[in-house]
Parts: sequence; C-alpha cells; structure tokens
Amino acid sequence: MIERRVMITNRLGLHARAAALLVRTANNYQSALRLERADRTAAADAKSILSVLMLAASRGTELLVTADGVDESAAMNALCGLFASGFGESER
Amino acid sequence: MNRRRKVEEQEARWQGLGVSDGVVVGRVLRVFSGVRQVYRATLDAKDVERETRRLRAAVRLARVQLLAIKARAEKELGADHAYIFDAHLLMLEDRKLLEDVEKYIRDECANAEWAVKVAADRLLAIYAEIKDDYLRERGSDIEDVTQRLLVALSGESLPGYRKLTEDAVIVAEDLLPSAVAELDFEHARAIATDAGGWTSHTAIIARGLRIPAIVGLRDLHRKARTGDRVIVDAQQGTVILHPSSSTLAYYKSLTAKAAQTRYATTDDGSQPLRTLDGKEIILRANVELPAEFEDVRRFGARGIGLYRSEFLLAYKGVMPSEDEQCRAYIEVAELAGEEGATVRLFDLGGDKMGGAPETERNPALGLRAIRFSLMHEDVLRTQARAILRAAAHGRLDIVLPMISDVMDVRRARRIINEERARLESEGQKIGAIRIGAMIEVPSAVVTADKVASEVDFFSLGTNDLVQYLLAVDRGNEGVADWFRSLHPAVLQSISRTLDAARRAFIPAIICGEMASTPAYAVVLIGLGATELSMTAASIPRVRRAIAAIKFADAQAIAHECLECETADDVEELVRVRFSENWAQLFPPKSLPARRVAE
Repeated sequence: MIERRVMITNRLGLHARAAALLVRTANNYQSALRLERADRTAAADAKSILSVLMLAASRGTELLVTADGVDESAAMNALCGLFASGFGESER
Repeated sequence: MNRRRKVEEQEARWQGLGVSDGVVVGRVLRVFSGVRQVYRATLDAKDVERETRRLRAAVRLARVQLLAIKARAEKELGADHAYIFDAHLLMLEDRKLLEDVEKYIRDECANAEWAVKVAADRLLAIYAEIKDDYLRERGSDIEDVTQRLLVALSGESLPGYRKLTEDAVIVAEDLLPSAVAELDFEHARAIATDAGGWTSHTAIIARGLRIPAIVGLRDLHRKARTGDRVIVDAQQGTVILHPSSSTLAYYKSLTAKAAQTRYATTDDGSQPLRTLDGKEIILRANVELPAEFEDVRRFGARGIGLYRSEFLLAYKGVMPSEDEQCRAYIEVAELAGEEGATVRLFDLGGDKMGGAPETERNPALGLRAIRFSLMHEDVLRTQARAILRAAAHGRLDIVLPMISDVMDVRRARRIINEERARLESEGQKIGAIRIGAMIEVPSAVVTADKVASEVDFFSLGTNDLVQYLLAVDRGNEGVADWFRSLHPAVLQSISRTLDAARRAFIPAIICGEMASTPAYAVVLIGLGATELSMTAASIPRVRRAIAAIKFADAQAIAHECLECETADDVEELVRVRFSENWAQLFPPKSLPARRVAE
C-alpha cells in the first residue's frame, strides 16, 4: 500500500467535472483507491463519484491518497497527475 | 412504432392554449418529463433475484440513453457542457448507489422502484448537509439520474436522439428546465404539453426557438403514441391526432403558404417605430438562450431589454466563475450594440433551480431572485464584478429581480458599490452601469414612488406580477382560469408603476410576455408604456400593430379598461373597441378569446 499527500489547486475543487475525471481515471485501475481529507474528517472511495463529491473538497484542501493493489503505483501516479494539473481546468 | 397500424385511427382533437404561433404537420415524439410517483410493493422472497435483474437491466438501458445524450451534448454544446452527463453516467454506475439499492431490495423484499427512491433519498439527505452550495446542488443531478432510472424501470423509454425525425412534434406532460438540454431543438418542429400556461417555461422556450407550441392539453400525452401523425395549429390552439386525409390536405396547403411569408417581415427594423400620431415606441429583445442571439439583429430589436442571466448557470450546471460570466456579458453587450443590454441578476430559487436541495414548500414566495442573491452574497458579488468589468466593453445595465421594496434596492446597491470600489482599487477597467428594479411584487407596485427615487429605471415583469397580484400559480392548469393578464388589477398596477416612473423622471420598460402579444402591447402603450421588451421573433408583428394605430386611440381604450370591474369586462371591451377601430389589423383570433363555460 502506498500513500501520498496532494493539494487541490484548481479553482472549482473536486466538483462534478473534476470528480468525474478522477473517478473515470480511478476505474482504469484494479487497486483500491481511497481519498481522505488530511484533517481526517472524511474519506472516500475514489471509484465512486457520489462518495468523492461528498468529500466537499474545495480549492486548498489537502488530501491523502492511498492505493492498494497490483497496479498501485501506476494508479497513484495517474491520480496525482490529475491533481497536479489542476484537472486540466484552463482557469486556475 | 405505430406507423403501420392496420386499423385507421379516428381523428381526435384537443383544445389548448397556443403560446407560440405557427402550424406544423408532423409526427408525435413522446417525451417523459413529470416527476414519477413511486409506490412500495412487497415481493415474495423468490422474486427478489428477478427484481435485481430487472434493476440491472434498467441501469443498462439508462446507461445507453445517457451515452447517447452525452455524445450529442459534446457535439452540439461542446465538451465543456457535456461533462455533466459524464457525471450522471458515473452516478448511474456508482457502486455505492447500486449496492445500496440491491441490498434494500434483498433485505426488505422491496420493488426496485421503491429501493431506488429510498437509496436516492438517503443520499440526498447527506448532500443536503454539505456546507458547500455547489455540492449541495449536485443533489439535483442525483434526482435527475434516479428519475431516469425510474423511467427505465417502468419500461417506457426516453427518446433516443437518433429517433428524432425531421418532423418531430414533442409531446410531453410538461417540459422541465432540465429537459431543455436534452431536446434536439434543431429538429423539433413543435411542442405540445398537457400542463403549462402562456408564461410557462415551454412557452418561453418555444417562442425563443420560433416553433409553434400549445400548452394546457390535459391528456394528450397519455393518448398520443410516438410516431402518430399529428397537426399542431397554435393559431387556433388545436392539436389534431390521426388527422383524416382531408384535414391533412387542408393543413398541408396552409403550411406551404405560411412558409412563403415566414420571414417576409424582417426588413423595416431600421426606422424608429412611431404610432400614426407620432409617438415613438422602442422595442427591445428578451434573450436567454444563445440560439436567440442572431434574432436580436434579424428582427431589428433596439438592444436587449432583458437578459436572463440564470441561463448561464442552467447551461453550465455549475455557478460560472467571474471570468466566465464576464465573457458572457461582453458577448451580450456586443450583440446589443450601442443600444445596450440590461442584465437581470440571477433569478435563482423556486422553479428555476429545478431540484432545489432544501425543498421549499412555496418556492414562488421563497428564497429566490434578489433574496437569494442577498443571502448568498458571494454569488451577487461575483456577478456584480463580472458585469462591471464587462461594462467596460459595451453598454450594460443591471436590473434587480423581485424587489419587494426600497430596502432590497439599498442592500443590493451597497454590495454592488463595494465591488465597484474594490475593482477600482485593483486597477481593473470597469464601465458605468445603471441599476434598475424589476417591479413584479405587489408591495413594490404599492411603494413604486419610493422605489423610483432610488433606482435608475423600472422594468416591469408582467409574468410574475400577474402571478403574485392575482395569487395564481402560472404553471397550475387547475387555476388557469384565474390567470388573467388583462385583469383590471394588473392594468391598474402597471399604470400606477408607469406613473411613478414618470414622476421620478426615470424610464420604464415592460418586459413580460404580455408585451409580445400585439393586442396586449397596444393596451400597454395606451397605459403609457414607451418601451417594450419581448422575444425577438415577436417584434415584427408587434411593430406592425403599433405602426398602424394612433396612440390617442390606444390611450382612450386603455383608460376605459382601467375602469372595468372584471377581467371578462376588460377582454370584452378590448374585443369590441379593437374591432371598431382596427378591424383589419386585429382579426378576432388575434384578440382575447371569449371564455365559454364548459
């Protein structure tokens, strides 16, 4: 199992579009993927959009991403790439 | 589907209210729209497996539909708008949701419909707690998805877009705002709905798209089948299902003639419009959908009298950012040219929000329009900043919707001024804007003198004014008889408001749907209105009417109307006086119909 800390930098946070992109990506991997707010107040299954949206993660929120499974490092890189790119939002 | 019925169907007619002119011969496309009632049924334990399979099949069906919608949205609206359907797809396939539903079916031996509803309600309750406006609103997406799933379970199908033939006539119980994004308006030729009135969403959209529409058809949706041949005659308010060959021949010749004259009247927009006795009248355009933009110029509107900004939100599905809004407002200002555009601040809440997270028992009287913006100051601040910045590129004004009294004006103005000062200190370029009040709440009419002293202009929203003044829900077919635009109380309120504006030396513009009906427009002018704003497509016929009358005559008739006791009296007076004065200009069918007891 691996764990990494990410920061949400895009303006809208994990809103519908970003969440959809995240969940689509997560579902490409077999590993269990989990997101947890760094303040430990809420956690979500990265493969469930309903769960991800409920994190209510806005811009500036810190998240702990954990990946556990055969393709965990590839999955981790893919998810962290999304966070780093601000989910491709033109407007940061 | 039913095109090859062996037995010839009998011609059947429905009478409704024609809300957007035109005649179309086409084929029915049934669209499901209303909210589905769900009942609890208890299953035998042996049927639980079958129920689960039924659920999964419904999910697959809904998925195919959503994929088609998404593909179409990407093509027509761009990927920026289509992502919301991607989110819907993911919600539909969400393990959490499906596991909850299946578990409920098994544990409670419940039917799938009930289980879907219970699971969705639980989720909605959780979302309602989220302390983030945007995310709380995602509850409406969950409702959208579960509705779709319930329809799929019922075995009815939503229309696939490829099925939309050239001659599709949309037949629905009612069209919800959310259905707008789904309909293939490119091909829809007409709309016919069971519910709705002159100012319903269906009516406004249909007029915007210049396709005929008839509402208030009671049970057409239940009786019609997709593929049935149908005639929509919005002039007469008649829908004819399974028309006989002679009826069909008659209407085909009629539509052929109409096609020739359709755009013959778009040329005289360049000259100022005056009545025969020289009174200048300004006609501006109401705009909400981008599809209407080109009409503003084509029909010779003098700028945009009402830009309904909340449609930015309906299209995007999220609150647009300041920059996104700013871009949209610049586009509107450029479109309007030197005549300028009036941006109505978000009229959110009530029906416009669709699935509002915390359901209000009485949304029309609830937290909406300016009240909503004052309670969600960040929304108001962002919008004000965007408009102020856009005003540096073209002439823009702000109108505050649903003002109750001068207090609402002061609060909104203070916030707008704060943002103006902040933008200035940030060194941003901003433009001068005027701030006006929408007069549509009776208390604002009663205190119009006070409101007039603190705003730069008035804008009369007659749709809401009629609804609030007469206490009639305009979407409720059951009280349609009480929704009377020509009620003496409505006319007196308009007259009073126009007088208050005149005394305060501020302009007043009437921008409800009343203004787009030539006969009503003449009455409004008689009451003293000099600026009217309407769906652009209505401008030519209103212009024709105004150019052919004398203001003095209109004024005399309007003053007589003000003395009437009932709406029936006003309508009768309008019928009599208009035919006396302008028989050529106003044939009987262009005047308020005589009400016959059923």
